[in-house]
Amino acid sequence: MPVFKTPFNGYSVKFSPFYESRLAVATAQNFGILGNGRVHVLDLSPAAPALTELVAFDTADGVYDLAWSESHDSLLIAAVADGSVKIYDTALPPTANPIRSLHEHTREVHSADYNPTRRDSFITSSWDDTVKLWTVDRPTSVRTFKEHAYCVYNATWNPRHSDVFCSASGDCTLRIWDVREMGSTMIIPAHEFEILACDWNKYDDCLIASASVDKSIKIWDVRNYRVPIAVLNGHGYAVRKVKFSPHKRNLLASCSYDMTVCLWDFMVEDALVGRYDHHTEFAVGVDMSVLVEGLLASTGWDELVYVWQQGMDPRAV
Amino acid sequence: MATQSPPSPSSTAGNPPTLAAETSQQATGVQQDGPPEAAEQPISSPSVFVNSEPMREEQVQNAVKFLSHPKVRGSPVIYRRSFLEKKGLTKEEIDEAFRRVPDPPPSAQATSANQDGQVKSSSSNIQSQAPTQALQPQPAGAAPTAVSPASTMMMSRFHWYHAVLAVGLLAASGAGTAVFIKKSLIPRLKSWIRKVVLEEEDDSENKSIAKPSLAEEAAAAAKAAAAAASDVAKASQELLNSKNEERRYFSELMNLLDVQLQEMKSMSNSIRKLEGPSNNSGRTSLVNQEDHRDSVTGVKQPYANGKADFDMQSVRSSSPPAPGEPSVAPHPKSYMEIMAMVQRGEKPPNIRDINDLPPNPNQQLPNPRLAPKAKPWEVGQAQIASGQVIQSQVSAEGLNFKVQDNGLNHQSDDDSSVPWWQRKNVKITEVGEDEIKAGPYGVRTNEPPVQRTWVPPQPPPVVMPEAAEAIRRPKPSGPTEQSTSHQLASQASEVADELQRITKISEVGGIEEIKGNGSVQNSSEIQEEQETHA
Repeated sequence: MPVFKTPFNGYSVKFSPFYESRLAVATAQNFGILGNGRVHVLDLSPAAPALTELVAFDTADGVYDLAWSESHDSLLIAAVADGSVKIYDTALPPTANPIRSLHEHTREVHSADYNPTRRDSFITSSWDDTVKLWTVDRPTSVRTFKEHAYCVYNATWNPRHSDVFCSASGDCTLRIWDVREMGSTMIIPAHEFEILACDWNKYDDCLIASASVDKSIKIWDVRNYRVPIAVLNGHGYAVRKVKFSPHKRNLLASCSYDMTVCLWDFMVEDALVGRYDHHTEFAVGVDMSVLVEGLLASTGWDELVYVWQQGMDPRAV
Repeated sequence: MATQSPPSPSSTAGNPPTLAAETSQQATGVQQDGPPEAAEQPISSPSVFVNSEPMREEQVQNAVKFLSHPKVRGSPVIYRRSFLEKKGLTKEEIDEAFRRVPDPPPSAQATSANQDGQVKSSSSNIQSQAPTQALQPQPAGAAPTAVSPASTMMMSRFHWYHAVLAVGLLAASGAGTAVFIKKSLIPRLKSWIRKVVLEEEDDSENKSIAKPSLAEEAAAAAKAAAAAASDVAKASQELLNSKNEERRYFSELMNLLDVQLQEMKSMSNSIRKLEGPSNNSGRTSLVNQEDHRDSVTGVKQPYANGKADFDMQSVRSSSPPAPGEPSVAPHPKSYMEIMAMVQRGEKPPNIRDINDLPPNPNQQLPNPRLAPKAKPWEVGQAQIASGQVIQSQVSAEGLNFKVQDNGLNHQSDDDSSVPWWQRKNVKITEVGEDEIKAGPYGVRTNEPPVQRTWVPPQPPPVVMPEAAEAIRRPKPSGPTEQSTSHQLASQASEVADELQRITKISEVGGIEEIKGNGSVQNSSEIQEEQETHA
């Protein structure tokens, strides 16, 4: 299974929705505390298991998250720690990039997500307690959603309803929003501690997974949101990222500060179905490929990016 | 801010209770936009993403009591809202509580008597809330519990301080009075001696013997006192000297210990280095570590080695830590170093000055080279839908091809071999195929039927726009125009969405793109329509 060593600490990894063999990695120097950042676009060579870098873009501040455009195969959105949102055209050389730099957030931008259904807009969430809606062709944001009382760590679009998205915040609540409404349409006090990530189930558009500092992942049904339908325990430290499988209804992947990437089946009593401990530092980014079933990628503060097939050992040669 | 939501209920609060009750029941979008389309009326069924529970009076009353507390009134509104949200109140309940709070004082005072018990609990809650929010961004799970012991500690410390202060005061006053007395006594003594001496001079002979004796006695007493004082001084000096010596010995000891500790550290590092390569035989990537990373990760090696051991893994996973006790994960050593550096105000040396602004801010967006691919969860649905229809065979084939394209046996390249990332374990392949072919619904039969509310737009090119139009016509849908393809697109999406979507395209932006995608959307939505009405 191929490994790629990044010069800076990894923060996020995302597969391209257009090319099976392509992925992008967001990294930040000095663990993202203070320093430069870099976005790598990597390619999986089909013959031998290897990851090669196609192009890399340097930023003044660390990059915390990425989102591939769903409408343009070469566009990449980067969430940068200096509060800017940068749009890169991976088909152009680094000297012609970025093609846009949108600076509206007043604090670090922690996540970016592209709308998979409308394919024309994306949302970014920031430590300035807001979520902003953008389109690639506009120089300013379309909407700003400000209700959370603390940093918004993650915001993700609903895979079926093109106007609905969910946000996870350090104020310990999940909020569901509809871009057509003024404020949030639902507030779920999901955990007693900060919620670091959220994701929608791709096959049941009413299920949300939330990952928290309290080491647990909870699955919520918005139709009955007072009680979670499942609580997944097993991580040793805060869970940093959670991602529902694009191919299997009940499968989700998570990565945590306990340096492991775990796979869960939330409909089963013993939910943990896989555990990968290949990282030697906090595992901070994980993604499941939409185009290739079972393909996983992860990155962490150990400056390594792994791509492997579910069921295999990420460190196998 | 939180100000976004109050305006809307306050505007409707103009006609208070009835409208407020309605807002809690319906999707608020209906009221806000007043507008006009007749198609909006059937939207009485709210979307699932809106909370449609009625307001709970008990929760509202608790919230009112909380908000009426003087300490709470001093805190920012956003924290009050956040607290109530965490307690599980819905927006409507919170807004109602906010509305009720600036109520006339009598009601507040009448309930204040009952509140004393609750006030303390809520105040302690508030205290715990404020410090937790002040201590973040680092997850501070221990803060709430730490505050109350700290407060009791404060109380006990007060006693200590009191006692120390009192003792100090007493000593100072004692010393002051002693000095004062001495100062007043000595002159008195002297004057008394002089008097005696004078009187004795008058009685010349008798007193002459006593005088010198008195004076001598006084002198002797003074000498003795001086000697005692000097002795005391000497003793204290000796004490100081011995203390200094002890300190010296102690520091020497510490130095020796440090030296020994460093020796041990270096020895253990070298041992681990020797051990390290043998354990990392499987990790080809880590062999090429740089030297400085070796020294940095040297401390973490035992942790990593422990993780490599499967037995340890299984032991750890069998007893998962209880949630709700978020211990802070041990950060890497270099992370702590950098944090310390930054807090001291130093900049880590490896940062470059990079200009990451767009070189050409008006750079044109590229033309998309590839059509967007169907998502696996959408394809599954569309495939089932088309499977039931005889008419749409052409498009069904197209979709089948798409499924296999995205699925396991993808062969778009000229390579004869399957790319390595698609070779899978047999077990997973079979399960996966079942999933893709049968869709997720075949697996669990007791699942509720698929809610095919709205199939998202799909890329297969428009097959027969004329047929699409023909099918469209008899359908009753809101707006009356059915001729142009643009209108078709908006209609198709509206109808298929079960009238849940209010297409406020202008607000979301990107009218052009949506319309552009609309023509592509036609085909799949047509199939959807076909099968629902076939």
